[in-house]
Amino acid sequence: MLHLDPPLLVSLILLGCFGLMVLYSASGENAAEVQRQALTMLVAVVVMIFVAQFDVHFFRRWAPSMYAGGLALLGMVLLIGVEANGARSWLDLPGLPSFQPSELMKFVVPALLAWYLASRPLPPRFKHLFWSALMILIPAALIIVQNDTGTAIMVAMSGVFVVLLAGIRWRIIFSGLFALLLVSPAWYLFIAQEHQRNRILTFFNPYRDPTGAGYNIIQSQIAIGSGGLYGKGWGEGAQSQLDFIPESNTDFILAVLAEEFGLLGVLFLIALYLFVLARGLYISFGAQDMFSRLLAGSIILTFFFYVFVNMAMVSGLLPVIGLPLPLISRGGTSIVTLFIGFGILMSIKTHGHLKSR
Amino acid sequence: MSGKWQLKDHESERQIFNRRLIVAAALIFLLFAALILKLVNLQIAQYDYFSTRSDGNRLHSQYVPPARGLIFDRNGDLLADNQPIFNLTVVKEQVEDLDTALQTISTLISLTDDDIEQFNNRMQRNRVPYSSVPLRYVLTDEEKSRIAVNEHLFPGISIEPQFVRHYPLADLAAHSVGYVSEINREELDSLDDLQKENYGGTNHIGKTGIERTYEDILHGTVGYEIVEKNNRGRVMRRLDRTDPVAGKNITLHLDSQLQIAAEKALGDFRGAVVAIEPSTGGILAMVSKPGFDPNLFVTGISSRDYSVLVTDEINTPLFDRTTNPYPPGSTIKPFLGLGGLHNGQVDYEFTIEDPGYFRLPGVSYRWGDYTLRTVIGGGHGHTDLQKAIYQSCDTFFYDLGNRMGIDSIHNFMSRFGFGDNFTLDINYARTGVLPSREWKMASRGEPWYPGDTINSSIGQGYMWATPLQLATAVSIIANDGKVVQPRMLKAVEDEPFDPVIANPVPDVMLDDPDYWRYIKEAMTKVVHRTFNDTFRDYGTAFEAIAMADRDMPYKMAGKSGSAQLVGISQAVLKSEDIMVSDLNKDHGLFISFAPAENPNIKPQIAVAVFVENGEHGSSVAGPIAKQVIDTYLLDILQIDFAAMEAAEEPLAVAADD
Repeated sequence: MLHLDPPLLVSLILLGCFGLMVLYSASGENAAEVQRQALTMLVAVVVMIFVAQFDVHFFRRWAPSMYAGGLALLGMVLLIGVEANGARSWLDLPGLPSFQPSELMKFVVPALLAWYLASRPLPPRFKHLFWSALMILIPAALIIVQNDTGTAIMVAMSGVFVVLLAGIRWRIIFSGLFALLLVSPAWYLFIAQEHQRNRILTFFNPYRDPTGAGYNIIQSQIAIGSGGLYGKGWGEGAQSQLDFIPESNTDFILAVLAEEFGLLGVLFLIALYLFVLARGLYISFGAQDMFSRLLAGSIILTFFFYVFVNMAMVSGLLPVIGLPLPLISRGGTSIVTLFIGFGILMSIKTHGHLKSR
Repeated sequence: MSGKWQLKDHESERQIFNRRLIVAAALIFLLFAALILKLVNLQIAQYDYFSTRSDGNRLHSQYVPPARGLIFDRNGDLLADNQPIFNLTVVKEQVEDLDTALQTISTLISLTDDDIEQFNNRMQRNRVPYSSVPLRYVLTDEEKSRIAVNEHLFPGISIEPQFVRHYPLADLAAHSVGYVSEINREELDSLDDLQKENYGGTNHIGKTGIERTYEDILHGTVGYEIVEKNNRGRVMRRLDRTDPVAGKNITLHLDSQLQIAAEKALGDFRGAVVAIEPSTGGILAMVSKPGFDPNLFVTGISSRDYSVLVTDEINTPLFDRTTNPYPPGSTIKPFLGLGGLHNGQVDYEFTIEDPGYFRLPGVSYRWGDYTLRTVIGGGHGHTDLQKAIYQSCDTFFYDLGNRMGIDSIHNFMSRFGFGDNFTLDINYARTGVLPSREWKMASRGEPWYPGDTINSSIGQGYMWATPLQLATAVSIIANDGKVVQPRMLKAVEDEPFDPVIANPVPDVMLDDPDYWRYIKEAMTKVVHRTFNDTFRDYGTAFEAIAMADRDMPYKMAGKSGSAQLVGISQAVLKSEDIMVSDLNKDHGLFISFAPAENPNIKPQIAVAVFVENGEHGSSVAGPIAKQVIDTYLLDILQIDFAAMEAAEEPLAVAADD
């Protein structure tokens, strides 16, 4: 009997199919691209099922080694990494398809943190937090050096979610946030790069540079807004078909969805995501040991973070951060990593779940 | 309990975790709610706004400029047409590095600093994004090929065809036909909203001459097109179109052949020729020499070319000599004579004994006779009105003018168009000055002196008239007083131009219509009266015209004039030590019409010639008028005078009547 979680599987497949539909339109009715995406998804589903067959304890045992291996790979990237899309984060090893080690860290880091914190009494004490911070910051720093800030944030957040779920005191959370707030002006003035500053400024006023930095968000809003309630129809979105939305098949694909399927379409998407999230939360709620709970919780919260940040950015609630919309945007390694995460969730559900009492 | 080996309290840990999970779930819920609210705002609340903007992104209405009407001369030859040229244009948004691109291009085609400067000016103006801006106009075939072959090197730069105005006669009709050029801010502002719409797709507007006067007819009505463009500004499809209405073609009275002949007749001189057809008022020729090439202005004249034109202080090519005033000199004598006859100051029998000068009673000053400008004894001697005209006797007219008085001169001559603009469609023509007591007081705050009248009587002093006015006035004489107001326009498309004139100028009515014959006879003698036994009794223009062409088949009536600029004595003029600068020499003028005194055919053409610094009206301006008339009557109308005369019955109606 395969270890699977049917509800999760079905909703993921639904999301995937919807995503393929939208991608077809966003890529300009490019059948080849859709086929590629479908193939990637198929591979990802297979990987997911494969991962789900392993017992949770397996992950627990191998977490530290995987972490060490991840760091090594990140180190290799620094030395022989290949550049693509402005980030030098790919490894092109002979015999293997090129992949991004930073993507793998998205579940390796929470796994390690979960392993570390779960074996200690909770809530974590200061020295535990210190080590946790280190465990997060080292890979994050290595990824930042690759010039891939988006992924670095994701990796960091996945670790942070573990810490949050582990019960770090509210006091510390708030003082941490407060400290961040204090530091941000300094970051903005001294550390932030030009284009990052631009993104913040543009967020507050997209029209300060309507044909440059503000262009993406303005066009995106026009596309979304003009979709109305019912949308303009599949393949009929003028903004997308006439190339007004940049990155329309990656980061801004939600704009295409909103233009063509309207508010109803977006709500349907949100409903699907909510279902996945709910299922994920349920799985982490009912996990049998702390390691599983922390890992599952972090995975599903990271997923939420992904979804929310992208959708907020595309609709103008957040500054532009280069993050794709999971399962909808065109992707490669990122889709596989996502499904590995779901595979872990399924593993947790099927191997060590507390039966409802 | 020691630190390291604390037992885990699984239950409370689980509780902590569950609490956190619930907090997380709540946050997820809240954040999604915020997101949904934002989307509802975008997609429902602001739907109309974004919908419009979405259309605004892709839908553009473009103006489709109308084709400009052509201008033909009376024979159907083109005076202005539209020709295709090929321009190098730039779409700024599609060019990666403009400076490098410009450098590359300047190795392929000629690209002067002036070109680049004008290009930058155009780029500065408000432009529609993704629209093309011309970099250089009029590419030659070779340049076109070079660019085409290398086009891949500079995206965003391409070759675009355009129709522009072209003037086949170039500098021969530059002032009268005028030219079009790019609209400037002021002109745009002066248009009302409806008119501005009409000029949406056009860059050019008539600036001078006929192009300007008949701009409304020539321009046509703009058309519209709604197109769908993609992000790069490329037109994907045309959705709707209202066709433009082309401007109407117009025909002028001008005769290109005559225009060319008149320009040639002026030779090396600077000056003006205006020729009118008396029966219709049609302006047959209107030449101001030196001219300029109006084709330069169409695509925007370079500042270098322009400064050449503007700083030429001697030739002043941009200055229209046909519509600007000069002292008419003796050419006004026939009109003064008519006035004197009409008012009764003279009659056919009246004579004076001309001593060569004139004096007012009680004043010692002598007004000399400039025609003679010699001090050899006596003036013209026994002189009647006709002789005073064909010999151009100043003394006679000093006396006549003095007796008429300036106001009476003013009232009479104003009926011939002096001090006024009788034309129907040359509203930029200046009116010169026809002085009077009132005029002098109003403009100079001084009273009128008798000496002023005397100077005015020979067309000097405060008297100023344009060659156009002189032509108009002499054609009224040719018509025996009937005023047919001069006009350039002959027809619009097939419809003859025959407007209902709101306040038509009345004909000149004389007490006795025989006065016309008398004066016309005098004017004919100016050209044809030969030398005879009587001293100084020949026509001033006889030697230069009738004697030079003994076989001329028709009779020509005229009057010469010299307009003095600077008072230079005869002694100085004749001296060999002193060189009088050309620019100080008198102007030469001649008014005329022909055929004169012909029972078979009425006058067909009236001509006024002005020769700048030409000195003598008779010897310099007269022959020019003769050449113009020859060309018209003999080469163009090809009137066979001999046949007409030989015919048993005189032809009642002449050709082209």
